[in-house]
Amino acid sequence: MNDIIIAADGLSKSYDGKPALRSLHLEVPRGSICGFLGRNGAGKTTTLKLLLGLLRRDAGSIRLFGEPIDSEASSIGARRRLGFVSEDKELYPFMTVDQTIRFTRPFFPGWRRDLEEKYLDLFQLPRKKAVPKLSKGMRTQLMLLLAMARGAELLLMDEPTSGLDPAMTEDVLQILADLAASDGTTIFFSSHQLAEVEQICDRVCIIDQGQVVIDGVLDDLKSEYRRILLVFDGMAPRELAGLPGVDHLRQRGRTASLLAHGDVDGLVERARSLGPTSVEVRPVTLKELFLDHVRGE
Amino acid sequence: MLWYKAWLETRWRFVFMVGMILFVWLTPEWITATGVHSGVPAARLWMAIQLGSVFLFIFTAIFLAGSGINTQGAYTFTPGFHGSMLFTLSLPVSRRRLLFVRGGLGALQTCILVVIMACYILHLRPEATSVLQTLAYLARTIVCTMAIYALSVLLACVLDEIWHVTGAFIFWIAVFLVQSKFDWVARISPLRGMSLNCYPITAPIPWAPIVASLVFAGVLLCASVLMVQRQEY
Repeated sequence: MNDIIIAADGLSKSYDGKPALRSLHLEVPRGSICGFLGRNGAGKTTTLKLLLGLLRRDAGSIRLFGEPIDSEASSIGARRRLGFVSEDKELYPFMTVDQTIRFTRPFFPGWRRDLEEKYLDLFQLPRKKAVPKLSKGMRTQLMLLLAMARGAELLLMDEPTSGLDPAMTEDVLQILADLAASDGTTIFFSSHQLAEVEQICDRVCIIDQGQVVIDGVLDDLKSEYRRILLVFDGMAPRELAGLPGVDHLRQRGRTASLLAHGDVDGLVERARSLGPTSVEVRPVTLKELFLDHVRGE
Repeated sequence: MLWYKAWLETRWRFVFMVGMILFVWLTPEWITATGVHSGVPAARLWMAIQLGSVFLFIFTAIFLAGSGINTQGAYTFTPGFHGSMLFTLSLPVSRRRLLFVRGGLGALQTCILVVIMACYILHLRPEATSVLQTLAYLARTIVCTMAIYALSVLLACVLDEIWHVTGAFIFWIAVFLVQSKFDWVARISPLRGMSLNCYPITAPIPWAPIVASLVFAGVLLCASVLMVQRQEY
């Protein structure tokens, strides 16, 4: 059994000569919940489309469930083992809930009737109701049901909670967390909601301008990175930017804010040698990590 | 289950076309019953029925096509994942199969309606028609209609619903106009091949438009498959 469910290496994709992905490297281990973060246009959707086989890559390789995805046949094989929830949660407008389920079921040999019944009850989805008459929350629930009842080993989700009210968002996040914990389902979802990612993800991957800028276990990243705040008598010295371990530096007059990783203690010692009047070392939040890396300050 | 989906997707179009045929079916009966056609020469009435039937064949073929995955897209102007086509494409099914099932059902529906319409036209024909003549007429009507259908399938692979219907109509109107200017176009035109005005039922089988329609439909179908397989969504 392969422990890396999604592996992309050197993945590149351009649209009309404009690069959307630039040698992207990504690994998502089995059973993890990985938040895929980035600004609009960073390459999240392109990555998801490449994983689903909707786009052709310019360069690089993709392996899903340990198998290379290099043909339509291999992509079909992988799609049999994954579920996908799109951002707008659009299903066939000419079907009812029941027809949608009956249509989807035969494509997946591992379809679990018990889960189908469980989620129908849990979500209280009206079987006879036409899909266009469902609220966005109900369509999200139906898509989740279709993804989960097929016994998917991997869920790919594009903004799964967009358009949902806070209570529904909480329910969906709880279901995803339960799914990963109980069935070992791997969940890879793009989101702009950092609080949601922080709530349920054990891994994050931050992408900017088509490249991964941060990828790792969330707790490790939080322990590895530190915010160092320095106050000087005069203007903050420019040498700070050249200190080893400094990821990002923001200077405003007498103060400097460093995002650092690695040997933070050593970095603090070196920073002290520049004569600050005050030094403060703080843990970082996911929001700080995200903003510092995608703003490029 | 793709057949089931294709049927649910197209059933109202099919019902609409059945309704339209019934309307066309009943109109000559009404004309006869009310006698409003008195004074109109029978030959002219027959020609009008013929022209109307060709239009109906074209309309049926274009209206029931739409095998392109694009036709499932949502009308939206924001980038990202949209439309039920993404749900379809995320299923473990090849694009070629998606095309064949949707295209196959549309072709079957078109054939059924074309056969019904063609039989009715023969029923209206004043002279008796032999079985062989009937079969030959049905065969050429189906083949020529499939050429029209195949173009719509190809257009549906790259355009959304509104534009593939519009594009197909514009193309066949252009063919209709061009065939009166160029003899070689007229000889192979499927629009003429399906018409009893151009090729009366007693005339020899018009092989040129039949073969041309078969080649045209085959080439367009292959192009559609290639297009769907190469397309990025």
